[in-house]
Amino acid sequence: MTFVAFQGAVELGFIYALLALGSFVSYRVLNIADMTVDGSFTTGAALSAVCAIAGLPALGLPAAIVGGAAAGAVTALMQTKLKVQPILAGIITMTALYSINLKILGTANLSLFQIDNIFTHFGAARVALIVLIVLASAAALGLFFHTRTGLSVRATGDNEEMVRTSSINTDFTKTVGLCISNALAGLSGALLAQYQSFANINMGTGMVIIALASLIIGEAIFGRRCVPLSILAVLVGSIIYRIIMALVLSSDTDPSDLKLISAIIVAAAVSYPALREKWDYWGRRRGAKRDAQSGNNSNREQGDQEKRGGEHS
Amino acid sequence: MASILRLEHVSKSFHRGTANERAALQDIQLHLPPGEFLTVIGGNGAGKSTLLNAVSGIFPVDQGSIRLGGEDITFLKEYRRSRHIGRLFQDPLKGTAPNMTIAENLLLAYLRGTGRGFSLGLSKRDEAFFKEQLAQLGLGLEDRLKSKMGLLSGGQRQAVTLLMATIVTPRLLMLDEHTAALDPATGEKVLQLTQELIKKSRITTIMVTHNISSALSVGTRTIMMDEGRIILDLSGREREEMTVEKLLELFREKRSKQLDNDRMLLN
Amino acid sequence: MMILKRILSVLVCTATVCALFTGCGGKSAEFTIGLSQISDHPSLNTIRESFTAEMERLGYGPDRVSINYKNAQGDQSNLNSISQTFVGDQVDLIVAIATPTAQSAAAAAENSGIPVLFSAVTDPVAAKLVQDGQNPGGTITGTSDAIPVESIFGLAAQLTPNAKTFGFVYNLGEANSVSVINDAKAYCDQNGLTYKESTVTNSSEVQQAAQSLVGSVDAFFTPIDNTVAEAMPVFAEVAINAGLPIYPGADSMVIDGGFATVGIDYTVLGQKTAEMAIAILEGGDPATMPVVTLDNFRGIINKETADALNIDISGVTDMEVYTGGEE
Repeated sequence: MTFVAFQGAVELGFIYALLALGSFVSYRVLNIADMTVDGSFTTGAALSAVCAIAGLPALGLPAAIVGGAAAGAVTALMQTKLKVQPILAGIITMTALYSINLKILGTANLSLFQIDNIFTHFGAARVALIVLIVLASAAALGLFFHTRTGLSVRATGDNEEMVRTSSINTDFTKTVGLCISNALAGLSGALLAQYQSFANINMGTGMVIIALASLIIGEAIFGRRCVPLSILAVLVGSIIYRIIMALVLSSDTDPSDLKLISAIIVAAAVSYPALREKWDYWGRRRGAKRDAQSGNNSNREQGDQEKRGGEHS
Repeated sequence: MASILRLEHVSKSFHRGTANERAALQDIQLHLPPGEFLTVIGGNGAGKSTLLNAVSGIFPVDQGSIRLGGEDITFLKEYRRSRHIGRLFQDPLKGTAPNMTIAENLLLAYLRGTGRGFSLGLSKRDEAFFKEQLAQLGLGLEDRLKSKMGLLSGGQRQAVTLLMATIVTPRLLMLDEHTAALDPATGEKVLQLTQELIKKSRITTIMVTHNISSALSVGTRTIMMDEGRIILDLSGREREEMTVEKLLELFREKRSKQLDNDRMLLN
Repeated sequence: MMILKRILSVLVCTATVCALFTGCGGKSAEFTIGLSQISDHPSLNTIRESFTAEMERLGYGPDRVSINYKNAQGDQSNLNSISQTFVGDQVDLIVAIATPTAQSAAAAAENSGIPVLFSAVTDPVAAKLVQDGQNPGGTITGTSDAIPVESIFGLAAQLTPNAKTFGFVYNLGEANSVSVINDAKAYCDQNGLTYKESTVTNSSEVQQAAQSLVGSVDAFFTPIDNTVAEAMPVFAEVAINAGLPIYPGADSMVIDGGFATVGIDYTVLGQKTAEMAIAILEGGDPATMPVVTLDNFRGIINKETADALNIDISGVTDMEVYTGGEE
């Protein structure tokens, strides 16, 4: 793999890490299966692209955050007030967002080629800007979970009833969580649109899977101990996922095997802890069998000895 | 003396209009003066848990009104009522968040009634306060503030839940067979802790229990429910002199049937 | 540290799996081309295959040119990685098939000096790949599959002169379709024709979209839209039952049940792309190479459809007549 490809993988890894962080908030913290991100990711990209074309590329980022949060709020509203099942609520919002995103873009494919964007003045050092934005967002998220509201959000995913017993409005905490989750997804899309110089209505398709894969890889490596470590795990997982994809792409494999290979690798990464345990277990079993056999021999000897030795007091 | 809790003509039915319709609460009248420690007994389906659920606001009642500390809470949402109501459940795991630390759980309970806001986590003062509170339980938990709740045993979790329910003194404490799922020794310990905490802060309490003798010996007043109604209300002298056999006899008289609940009879 | 060990094992695992799937390497060719495709789509595959064949036919076969082909498998997030791989490998030319592919390649190659040759981009100006069709003015040029809207409507005027109101069925999410439809609308406005449209997002919606227009239109028009193309058989059924002809943008769609078109032959498109590639490899400057759109189109009519619609096509000459499948 060349350096350019590696750098690209790291940059993309950081950009998509925001999306993975968003999914971390909904899937892991809140325990809600939220499909909205496929749509809110594209919303962020669309808003960012439109702002860049209008000559205000930096505005695209906060616009994307607000747009994403709005999408999350809609899904949350459906779940909490209208009692719609979470997965369904997410799918409904995602579907509606397709039309809304199309309206924002004005077309299916909006090109930003050679238009000034937030990376224009950075040149080759744009990786620094990306890392800065992503780390700042991750730090903000970690800090949020340390606040009292953040604590309520975490507790909602852990034991919802207890939260209500503590006089906290769980409708509110779920809404906050989903807003943050989709705001992060929107920011991710915004960065990507300006990074790759185009926004496309189908950009968001399949993003949930990628986010989850990053989440899972990160967890396989770091485990699930505390919140700051989990956030770090998500970042690392996303970068590793993109490096894996870059590795696969730069090798000479048959192009149509791309998805098969990445699936195998993700599966391997994810089952690593379980496989490791099995390996240890079999090792112990074999050891025990060996001991048992030699133990049987020495026990028989000892038993004979005891019989001959008579009773002990 | 004004009552802390007033239930007036409270009724609740489930599955209305279907073949499974069940009147869970029928015209309940209950007034609890401040400091009352009420125990509630009754067979299965008598309506004990339903009574507690109605007061906490898990569902709205069909008829009647509920007043807590003078405030009409009949139409308030559950999480709003919890501001002034502490509650423990039979399942010792239900009252705490397993993936958060003891300190974080206590913090959440401590915030009850205060602004949630964006203030940052646990301050040193909070930490010292929690340590002190945990030490009271006498379970050695004060040294494990940073441990995850899920690592604790059922009895320990129930004890922490108790602390969480009383750390901000509630107007009413509701205990729904909260020692039933614990082994006898631990259950006894938790019950003892319960009585201490209640006495210290003079908390008005309702405790549902299946243990008749416990019901008569603990607390200040006992009611017995059957088929959604309160059929016996014992306090003062009458209650002091009541025994388990006499109670069963009374029940037979009132309801012309045997109390056939094994758990209650064999305890 | 334990974690570092885990990360390393993941990467080693990856490299191993790749090695297992790898064919034999060993390329030290005169030229390398990075060829990328967004997905496995018949028309895109046709372009690629004819491109490769034509390169060889013109003397630039595998002995001289090594073509590194990558397919994003329909996942746009892979496009960037693919383009970056090509740039990192410092290929001599990137050939990108379809609009998002070309855009990703353009962005990745922007400062590298590697020329980009696109194919199957209907409107390269709108995609900002070129300044204008005649003078691309950059490092990017290519072949466009813009279809001759005027010719198709001209054909319609000839074969079904009574059709004055057209029904447009297409996917708003396909940029190529949108630009063709915009051309079609402009043409209709200028030529006294009216239109109604019904858009879809999914091939399962095509049937209902078509049915909703029956009774208020005289004929259908649809561009080379992947979504509609997938549902062409059921679309054709609806149209034939209503006695309405479909004028699609691609000959494959006519074969699937449409009525007639003056369409693009993707094989020719691939060949033209090969010609341009060779020109660039031999030192041509993309900035001055105009975007190639096809000018000789293959007219094709589906006789079965014509019979079903009771349209007399006996007087039609210089068009291919498709008489039904040779199984």
